Amino acid sequence: MPDSGYPWPISTTRLDNGLRVVVSEDRTAPAVAVNLWYDVGSRHEPAGQTGFAHLFEHLMFEGSVNVAKTEHMKLVQGAGGSLNATTNPDRTNYFETVPAEHLELALWLEADRMGGLVPALTQETLDNQRDVVKNERRQRYENVPYGDAWLRLLPLLYPPGHPYHHATIGSMADLNAADLATFQAFHQTYYAPNNAVLTVVGDTGVEEVVALAEKYFGAIPARAEIPVAPDGRVVPATGVPTEETVVTDVPAPRVYVAHRTYPFGTPNHDVVTVLATVLGSGRGSRLYQRLADGERIAQPDLVGAYGVDLAHAPAPLIATATARPGVSGQRLAEGLAEVVDELATVPVTPTELDRAKALLTTAWWRQMSTVDGRADALGRYATQFGDPATVADRLPGWLAVTADQIAEVAAEVLTAADRVTLTYRPEETP
Amino acid sequence: MTLIAERPGPGAARPYRFPQVVRRVVAGGQVVAAHLPGQNLAVALLLLDAGAGREPVGKEGLGGVLAKALEEGTGQRDATAYALAIEALGTELVTGLDWDTFQASVQVPVDRLGAAVELLAEAVRTPRLDPDDVRRVRDDEATALRMDWANPGPRADAVLRADLFGADNRWGRPMYGDPDSVAGLDVEDVTVFHSEWFIRPGTLVVAGDLDRIDLDGLAAAAFAGTGGGPVDRGTPIEVPRHDRRRIILVDRPGSVQSTLRLGHPAPHRAHPDHVPIALAGTVLGGAFTSRLNHLIREVRGYTYGIRGEFASSRRFGRFAVSSGVQTAVTAPALVESVGEIARTRAGGVTEDELAVARSWRAGQLSVELQSPRAIAGALTTLVVHDLPDDYHARLRESLLAADVAQVSAAAATHLHPESLTLVVEGDAALIRDELVATGLGEVVDHPVG
Repeated sequence: MPDSGYPWPISTTRLDNGLRVVVSEDRTAPAVAVNLWYDVGSRHEPAGQTGFAHLFEHLMFEGSVNVAKTEHMKLVQGAGGSLNATTNPDRTNYFETVPAEHLELALWLEADRMGGLVPALTQETLDNQRDVVKNERRQRYENVPYGDAWLRLLPLLYPPGHPYHHATIGSMADLNAADLATFQAFHQTYYAPNNAVLTVVGDTGVEEVVALAEKYFGAIPARAEIPVAPDGRVVPATGVPTEETVVTDVPAPRVYVAHRTYPFGTPNHDVVTVLATVLGSGRGSRLYQRLADGERIAQPDLVGAYGVDLAHAPAPLIATATARPGVSGQRLAEGLAEVVDELATVPVTPTELDRAKALLTTAWWRQMSTVDGRADALGRYATQFGDPATVADRLPGWLAVTADQIAEVAAEVLTAADRVTLTYRPEETP
Repeated sequence: MTLIAERPGPGAARPYRFPQVVRRVVAGGQVVAAHLPGQNLAVALLLLDAGAGREPVGKEGLGGVLAKALEEGTGQRDATAYALAIEALGTELVTGLDWDTFQASVQVPVDRLGAAVELLAEAVRTPRLDPDDVRRVRDDEATALRMDWANPGPRADAVLRADLFGADNRWGRPMYGDPDSVAGLDVEDVTVFHSEWFIRPGTLVVAGDLDRIDLDGLAAAAFAGTGGGPVDRGTPIEVPRHDRRRIILVDRPGSVQSTLRLGHPAPHRAHPDHVPIALAGTVLGGAFTSRLNHLIREVRGYTYGIRGEFASSRRFGRFAVSSGVQTAVTAPALVESVGEIARTRAGGVTEDELAVARSWRAGQLSVELQSPRAIAGALTTLVVHDLPDDYHARLRESLLAADVAQVSAAAATHLHPESLTLVVEGDAALIRDELVATGLGEVVDHPVG
């Protein structure tokens, strides 16, 4: 068992304005990854403003005081870099990987939109990006079969008012109602240096990065009080299974079984991660062996299970299967539930456990094989757990999970009485 | 003002280097490897000259069914035992298919690479191919394709391909086949395809820390029991362009977006204009900052994204634009997209645009070629297209050296807005009249079914 999942140096410095700067030097390739985690996500959105954190992420690419509209992308790509950003319920991150000689450019761009976005934000930009986001919603959720499963599962898993109750993409009605003043306030409230972690990984050193961070970010003022999101850590069990059936234009019945488990980063979430791999990753998994290969009621390429890595409330475990021709949604749902139930009653064998740990080990080193993968991980651990060095504990944490722990966790959080089942059924054909 | 207004220039450029490449012939097969010192993960990829282009017309999807059937048990163990053995090493057997090659690969911590390659070879060279299993896999693949074809895109892609290349040709039919072609395959098709193409040695591509890898041992496992000489790769295919533009409408009732696929034939991979063609494609549609994405997304807000690029295989190529646009703006999105293609052909590219395109393409060689998987992909390019070890370094130089005149000439020569086929998959009842009114070309309804 490796002692560490992160065998590279890590340095953390806090600037006077509260910005944490994490550096991990690796001179292997002439590239650097720059990654900013802002501790704001859709969990911070009040009712009537769903989708705002994500729409805001789009606005961050549209110019700031010293960067003209459309120039951000052009400068990074013109430097040979790759860039993007993502928003989820927990947080928003922005990242670019550039040839090492362009590190300073990347930091200048990030500082300019952290400290100088609001004066550049226009109604025209907001209207344009609102249309883009509405098209993103159409493309990813509305125009594809089963595309809205995640949007349907969240409100079944989390009650109204819970920070994970609504999906990050938001509702069309709220997006239509978004006004400029709200976004200006959003930036002033959350995009402060003391609410962010700047991580740089690759062909550079601590002194260089800290000096550049001080130069470009150092004068951006801290914000005294940053509002916290509603506390979602306790979600009372209903004691009643929740079921929803959607009859719509889909090619075959599909079932999702979902449970609230534990927040990402806790030892029990490590157990859930290994459990999900035993249950639903690969042809050797229980779901594949039982439903796709054994009873042959599920499509082989479409069975799986995964634990979602959300950190601020009990995160979901989701298992899914799609019916083979002639198999009903009900039959499939029963089969899926049975395999999930057995996690508590049929002990995980050493072979199953070793298989899961081997797959997770490869997945871990795959993320660590690029500077951008490492930068994202360090930013996450610094933001969510206060110390980027805790990144090294995750892989050993997974590898320490025992079969008994899996059975205990399954008995605790995967009970039928606390289960959400979402079933899609094709419309009857005349 | 607290921010620094002046944009910093670049620091001293680091020299570009692609990992050291090692080539060997062992046990009748070729090994091409890249040395990644200190890397914990390693990838091994067996490359066979058995791409979709080898499938007989009418048997599209054969390679995909065979790929899945490889894991249904081998001469040594049944399907479950095989899955448990390979996954216990931390990898799945990853298979892939394109027009030129079939690929099977494993990705594991470096100390497990030998065992993983033995299992890879066991599945590829000695699959059980029990007739009942093959039939079941075929039926599952047909169902999987039917599921996939319920999404927007695959039908539009197939319609475009057939119109560009002719459905009588293998390369005018979908690379992975369609639900009907797969359903029509029989067991013998699969076993014959295996014996014809999967026991030739091929090439073993390896990316990892070669100080901890026994290449000869890997090769011995990968090439054991193989035979058969090199095969004719075929010559580039001359594909005539259409003499006029037209719209093919594929009905998808209730669709909230229209899926656009615009295209025409283009040069094969070995064409001498490859680099300027790639750069012209980048300026027009290959990057976020490209003309098409700028206009259709960032100015108009019609879409979440639009891309246009030249793509090429050994024997043929095409230029294609793809997007999903809100139903109500289908006609203007189409008109403006064709307008950008025409403008790029007529006026070429500007120095500003080209500067971004060439730096981006060159920089991507440093930025994107980091992981063993990515390096293995780059080595695959060397093998498939007979390129030298220093290809990536030379490519970087030619990208950076390309000037406006060369790239504009490539745009003028290789873009053909007047012979584009414009496939629109969307709610025909809502968009048909507007498409006719655009005057872009005759509107043809694709037959349902």
